[in-house]
Amino acid sequence: MKSLKLFIPVFISIFLILSDYKFSYLDNFRSHAATLISPIYFLVNLPSQLYSWIDENGTEKDILLSQNKQLNREILELKTTLQKYNNLLLENTKLSKLLDSSYSINKEKFTLAKITSISQSRLKKQLVINKGSNDGINNGQAAFGPDGVIGQVIHATPLYSTIITISDPTHSIPVKNQRNGVRGIARGKASKSNQIIVNFVESNQDIVEGDVFVSSALGSKFPQGYPVGRVISVKTHKEDPMMDIVLAPIQSTNEIEYLLVLPQENED
Amino acid sequence: MKTNRPYQFLLKIIIFALIMSGIPLPTILLLASPFWILIFYVYWIIFFTAKGRLFLALIIGLLIDILHGSLLGQNALALILSSAFIINVKQSFYVSNISTQQIYVFAASAIYLLTFLLIHILIQGLDFSWIVLLVPLTTSLFWQPVKFILTKLRH
Repeated sequence: MKSLKLFIPVFISIFLILSDYKFSYLDNFRSHAATLISPIYFLVNLPSQLYSWIDENGTEKDILLSQNKQLNREILELKTTLQKYNNLLLENTKLSKLLDSSYSINKEKFTLAKITSISQSRLKKQLVINKGSNDGINNGQAAFGPDGVIGQVIHATPLYSTIITISDPTHSIPVKNQRNGVRGIARGKASKSNQIIVNFVESNQDIVEGDVFVSSALGSKFPQGYPVGRVISVKTHKEDPMMDIVLAPIQSTNEIEYLLVLPQENED
Repeated sequence: MKTNRPYQFLLKIIIFALIMSGIPLPTILLLASPFWILIFYVYWIIFFTAKGRLFLALIIGLLIDILHGSLLGQNALALILSSAFIINVKQSFYVSNISTQQIYVFAASAIYLLTFLLIHILIQGLDFSWIVLLVPLTTSLFWQPVKFILTKLRH
């Protein structure tokens, strides 16, 4: 009887592990359960929310004024850069029409979300944001920071969503070298928190340290051209036809407070 | 110890443990931070008498799996096995001094970690930060303050 008491929950756990790993029919259960326990997220997050509220309200007036000045200056600089970008966009559209090309640049509409504090899994690299399906966020949408790609929404509940970062070993993103267009698949490393490896790049390709890999539109989950990582090491092996490429993510997740979530292209 | 509301107390301490595990930490500290849920659950198993402790471990483990986005059942299996160990040594644990209790907590968290890592290695290979191996040590070190606080709260 005593061993049966242990055997049944152990059996259920093993069954769940195998089912969750091999099949996807537990996804619905997970999604509903996550919605059901949303209040726990809220409760768990309350102390850190309280801390940031006190921190924001305790900021001195002159600090706020100087931040305001700096932000106004940055807005002005960005508006100037945007004018150049708009000109380029216009030129690109004209040239595309002249060449009768189907290539087009989408004007993306982002959702701004705040990163909350609970992402405390030891082996998974995830972020939890304060926007969910009520705000139009769905599974599979890509997330970006000011410097580049952050990751992808994996669970969206009505009130919050979980984002798996590009440095998680279970997440893959198609990338290409910004300099010469060499393509590969990037995925994270569990043993190194700030490294991404690029697979499926042949040894004879031209990759050097300092090259920047950007998202490619293969698989259509991520829009193309957003920075993913900078090459920090390249190794070739005699017996292996593929090279080992290690990137440092361009967008650090430690310092950012807000991120942008992009709707998938077919959602319009 | 018998109490009228063991499940209410469990609910409170589990929420408290979740808040503790939700405190934002730098990566290295996060990797080595204690298994808060395990410490709090060990306390509940030792000082309260209730039925279905292993099933409760299953439910709490599943809750963590959902909150952390882990494989469903990964934390559950780890918590069940470590709880089974604590239930087995409960009598001895209850009468032991604090150092021996810390050794028991160390063993329970080592069981938790081994189970958790074994599933991780089977699925993703031997790719994890070695700092996580410090977790049984930090968990056992935090046993004394957690026990002190929870005993005060209980009264």
